[in-house]
Amino acid sequence: MSARLEIPAFDWLRVVVEPWALYPETTIWIVLMGWLVSLVCGAVGLFLILRRMAMTGDAISHSVLPGLVLAFLWTASRATLPMMLGALIAGVLSVILIEWIHRSSRVKPDAAMGIVFSLFFAVGVILVTAYADHIDLDADCVLYGEIAYVPLEPMWALAGIELGPAPVMRMAMVGLIVAGLGFLFFKELITTSFDPVLAASLGLSPKAFHYGLMIVLSVVIVSSFEAVGAILVVAMLIFPGATALLLTHRLRLALALLPMIAALHSLLGYHLAVWFDVTVAGSMAVAAGGLLAIAWAVYCIWARVARSSH
Amino acid sequence: MRIWLIFVALLLPSFLLAGPVRAVATSTFVADLVRSVGGEDVEVVGLIPHGVDPHMFKPTIADVNHLMRADVVFFNGLGLEGRMADVLRRLERRGTRAVAVAESIPTEYLLQDEDNPNQADPHIWFDPRLWARAVDSVVRVLSELDASNAEHFTARGEALSASYESLHEWAAASLAKIPPERRILITSHDAFQYFGRAYDLEVIGVQGISTVGEAGLSDITRIVDRVRGQSIPAVFVETSVSSAAVRRISQDSGVRIGGSLYSDSTGTPGEVLHSPTGMRYDPSTYTGAFRHNVLTIVDALGL
Repeated sequence: MSARLEIPAFDWLRVVVEPWALYPETTIWIVLMGWLVSLVCGAVGLFLILRRMAMTGDAISHSVLPGLVLAFLWTASRATLPMMLGALIAGVLSVILIEWIHRSSRVKPDAAMGIVFSLFFAVGVILVTAYADHIDLDADCVLYGEIAYVPLEPMWALAGIELGPAPVMRMAMVGLIVAGLGFLFFKELITTSFDPVLAASLGLSPKAFHYGLMIVLSVVIVSSFEAVGAILVVAMLIFPGATALLLTHRLRLALALLPMIAALHSLLGYHLAVWFDVTVAGSMAVAAGGLLAIAWAVYCIWARVARSSH
Repeated sequence: MRIWLIFVALLLPSFLLAGPVRAVATSTFVADLVRSVGGEDVEVVGLIPHGVDPHMFKPTIADVNHLMRADVVFFNGLGLEGRMADVLRRLERRGTRAVAVAESIPTEYLLQDEDNPNQADPHIWFDPRLWARAVDSVVRVLSELDASNAEHFTARGEALSASYESLHEWAAASLAKIPPERRILITSHDAFQYFGRAYDLEVIGVQGISTVGEAGLSDITRIVDRVRGQSIPAVFVETSVSSAAVRRISQDSGVRIGGSLYSDSTGTPGEVLHSPTGMRYDPSTYTGAFRHNVLTIVDALGL
C-alpha cells in the first residue's frame, strides 16, 4: 500500500450542491445528527469546563469497557440494551469511585480520575483477553456506532407520519431530557458550579448536583457512543463549550451560542467529509478544532482592541 | 454543465431510472461472488476496499449513498462485518434486501467456537465447497429481484459452483504434496480454520478470530517453542492484517516467513501473477487469491 498525501480539488458542485440535491436524505439526517450530538454534548461539556472537569468525559469513555464485557458475558449476546446498561453502570461507578478516592485521600481529583479510568480500562482489557478472546468483542465493534449509518436506520413513525431515523429520534429525546433538567435546575447548577459554599448555605447539596451532572453525563456519553461513535463524542464534550467560552464570559450567552456553533461543526464537518471522501465523525471533530482556532483568533483580536481602547 | 444534469436527475421520476439490479457487496470476496453471478446484468459496488480488514472498515458518505440507492446488499455475515451487519440487516425494514451469504450454509458445516455456541467462524470462503453453497443464495435473490435474467443467473451460478469444485480438487491435489510432519499453517489471525479442515492442515492463528486484539506474549512464546521443537519450515503473514506478531515469531525462532496470504481481502485489481508452473492468475478475484494462497503454502511447506 502506498501512502500518498493528495488533496482532491475543491469542486463546489460535488462538495456542496450534490449532497443536498441528489442525496438529500443522507445529508439531512447526518447533518441533523451531528448538530444534535454537538449541541447536547456541548451543553453538558460547558458545565464540565466551568467545573474544571473537562476530562471526565474522556475518563468515562474509557471506564465503560468492563461494563460492556460483563454485560456481554452475562447475557451471551451483543444486544444493544444490556450493553448500554452495562456501560452506564460502569460509567456511574467510576464517577463514584473517583469522588470517593479524592475525598478520602490526599489524591487530587485529576489524579483520582486518571487512576480510576486507567484501572477500569485495564480490567476491561483483561476481561476481554481472559474470557472473550475467541470472539469479536471490542468497544469499536460492540458499542460504538457510526454517524454515517444514521440515514440507513429504520424510521420512527407517529400516526403514519415518518419522523426520522431511530438514532436521531433517540438523540433528540436525550437532548430534550437534558434541556429540561438544565432548565429546571439552572440556578442551582450555576450556584453549585461557581460557589459551592454559598450553595451549601442556601441548603443546596453540591454533592447531589455533582452526582446528578455525572449521571446525566454518563447517559449522554453512552447513548451518543451508541449512535455516533467515540471520537465525535469526546470531541464534542470539549469543543463547543470551549469555543463559546472564548467568545463570551456570560454563561447565558455562551449557551445561546451553542446551537450556532453546533450547526457550523456539523455542516463544515459533513462537507469536509464529502470533499476528502473520509469518515464523517473525524471530519466533524476536525471542523470543531478549526472553529475553535478561529474563535481563539477572534478572542485575541478582541482582547487587543479592548486593551488599546482603554 | 453538470448542474443541468443534476436538475434533470431531480425532475426524472425514479421509475424512469430503473436499470439493472443495483447490488452492494461488503467484502472483496463477496463482491467477487456477486459480480461472477450477476455478470453484466447487475451493477455491483464493493464497499470495503482491497487490502482493508473488514473489522476496521469505516464508511464514507459515498458508501452510504450507494447503500441508500441499492436494491440488495450482500454481506458475508457470521460476524465478519461486526456491527455494520446489524445496520445492513435493518435495511430490510426500508425495503432493501439484505443477504448474508455465509448464513445460508447449514450450521453442521460451520465451525463453532467451543466457548460460544452462537459464534461460528465467518471465514467460509477458504473451503471452496462451502463457498459454492454461498453461490446458491446469490442466484436465488438476484433471480427474485430480476426474473427476466433468472436464466443467466442460474447458468452463471452453476458454472461458478463447478469451477469452485475443480478449484477444490486442484488445491487438495497440490496440498497433498506437503509431508505430514510439516502440515501446520501459522498465520497472523485465525482465518484459515476451514482451509485447515478441508485440506488436513493444523492451523494456528496468532491473534485469534478478531483482528482487533493483540497477540498475548504467552501465545507468541508458545508458538515460538512449537516452531523450534517441530522444525516447522515457515510461517505466513496476511495482506490485510498487521504482520508484527508473525514477524516477531519469525525473528525469535529463526523460521522464515513463507509469504503473504490473502485472508479477509483479495488482492488489488490489475495485478497478474504467475505460478512456478506458468499458471496465470489474478489475485483480485476469489479464485486467483485462493490459488495464490495454495501455491504460496505448498511452496513454503512442501519439500
